[in-house]
Amino acid sequence: MRVIRACHELGIRAVAVYSDVDRGALHVRLADEAYPIGPASPRESYLAIPKLIEVALRAKCDAVHPGYGFLAENAEFADAVQGAGLVFVGPPGDVQRKLGEKTQARRLAQGVGVPVAEGTLEPLRDQGHARREAERVGYPVMLKAAGGGGGKGMRPVASPAELDAAWRLSSSEAAGAFGSSAMFIEKLIEHARHVEMQILADAHGGIVWLGERDCSIQRRHQKLIEESPAPSVDDALRERLGDAAVRIARAAGYRNAGTVEFLVDARGGFSFLEVNTRLQVEHPVTELVTGLDLVALQLRIAAGEPLPFAQGDVRRRGAAIECRVTAEDVRLGFVPATGRIALLREPAGPGVRVDSGLFEGLTVTSDYDPLLMKLIVHGADRGEALARARRAVRETIVAGLPTSLAFHSYVLNEPDFVAGQYDTGYVATHWPPRTPTPLDDSAVTAAALVAVLATRGRATRRPVASPDGTWARAGREEALR
Amino acid sequence: MIYEVSVGERRLSVDVATDGRFLIDDAVVAAETAEIVRGRQWSVRIAGRSHEVTVLTTGPLRLLVDGLETPASALDERAAAAARGARAARGGRHELRAPMPGLLKTVHVAEGDVVERDAPLMTLVAMKMENELLAPARGRIVRLAVGAGTKVEGGAMLAVLEEAD
Repeated sequence: MRVIRACHELGIRAVAVYSDVDRGALHVRLADEAYPIGPASPRESYLAIPKLIEVALRAKCDAVHPGYGFLAENAEFADAVQGAGLVFVGPPGDVQRKLGEKTQARRLAQGVGVPVAEGTLEPLRDQGHARREAERVGYPVMLKAAGGGGGKGMRPVASPAELDAAWRLSSSEAAGAFGSSAMFIEKLIEHARHVEMQILADAHGGIVWLGERDCSIQRRHQKLIEESPAPSVDDALRERLGDAAVRIARAAGYRNAGTVEFLVDARGGFSFLEVNTRLQVEHPVTELVTGLDLVALQLRIAAGEPLPFAQGDVRRRGAAIECRVTAEDVRLGFVPATGRIALLREPAGPGVRVDSGLFEGLTVTSDYDPLLMKLIVHGADRGEALARARRAVRETIVAGLPTSLAFHSYVLNEPDFVAGQYDTGYVATHWPPRTPTPLDDSAVTAAALVAVLATRGRATRRPVASPDGTWARAGREEALR
Repeated sequence: MIYEVSVGERRLSVDVATDGRFLIDDAVVAAETAEIVRGRQWSVRIAGRSHEVTVLTTGPLRLLVDGLETPASALDERAAAAARGARAARGGRHELRAPMPGLLKTVHVAEGDVVERDAPLMTLVAMKMENELLAPARGRIVRLAVGAGTKVEGGAMLAVLEEAD
């Protein structure tokens, strides 16, 4: 969707692919051409490189944009695209390989004088090796997959007793997600903030940094809220992070859009985490602050054009916040939810941007990522952006399945978040909220009436009693509570 | 018909009179309702206050009230009595259900096993993360509904555990 929009603005024909369950998806309908590539299972469709290349050639495409998920950080795919005589919109395969293996990326960062968290610079040989390294670095440590990032195959380990289980689960996850169970260890930095720097690099040696995003509001290492500027980053630190990101990109021979992730500790020190060799889900935050269209720039860079501006031309204005609305039951610890979108109202008005593939009638399955909609706001400063975010979340309605909107609504009003005082431990310490929903008497009355009207309406619309009847249903609902 | 209603922590009794008036806890409420989207969304005015109430999900019932999400329930008198009965009968029996859709990778127990509280029973892979499902109490596995390698939906019954002393 995001890529199709940029293509259409640039007068480029957009060709989409879809799996069987996505036949009715918005990207299929908005694309100029769309081709089926197989069943819902990603392995047989969105991850099937030969099928994708075949479609690109058949549709006479010039270039392939990999999006943000699936094959966006797959060096083999980048190579295959290039091998077929097409342009890959992203860093070349060899750059992805250099940065995709996380211990290699750590060595590269260290080599250009960027601080990395204490830990192993080579993959661990076995569990015994992990135990010795963890002792050397000192608990708590983070056990991580060397083959890839994105929060998969990583676990905090607080003590030696937890190491075996963490090793078993993480290495098995890593093998499934990245095809490699190689692991490494990093010292766990407590109360750290996840701050990442957006970069752009052209094919002519031009590299610029555009600004940072704070992505500390996460669960299971998956982001829920991102903002720029980061509340913990001042101008001096921003310059240092930008400079570090550019040095890493230059050393890797980077090309196209990318993100260099850092952990910033409570004292303003930082260490390199990893490079995401793709456009990220949260890129609109940077787009709103800089006024740039990152996807359009990606396409121009891929076409061989030099960056149309220099570092000194990059202007950042105001503040932006993104809420990732996901299909998850936030009251049950963010478990993925499925269902049909029964009613949808997207927010609008000043400073509000919605990137969404939702429509009424869409059935949300467990086949893919639970991200439903991105709600991004821009304001003259953080206070205005926060007020806009609250207003936009309040306007938003996604009915038919549980979503994360209740979480966003809570966090945007929560004093620590409002004060910018948060780190990666935020969700664990602040969710679920201890205080009940603050509805006043009038609102409670309105809700009670609707509860009755909706319940009575359902009963009368189903005149023939189901075999197990209301009693069993009530019992079942009770049991599920 | 009188309904026992809960909205968040609050408990109310709601009676819809035959003339369409509402009684809440036996007091008449001057409320006017407009059904905006059939079965899904209502606009409610109470003494000039305007409220928008949307049914987010029905099982369990969750409402969006002026942008705030709240759990709710409305049971007529018979259903309310039945629910109280079901709760009493359940005793020390735990139905273990899949907390999310996913692939059941490993089953660590067999039917008849007695397990300690928090013992790992199964490993469920969802969103490429492995999650260990733990025993809610010390007890005997009286039923295993699924085997390793099964794809399960969220809420699917996995096993039944009966508490043991």
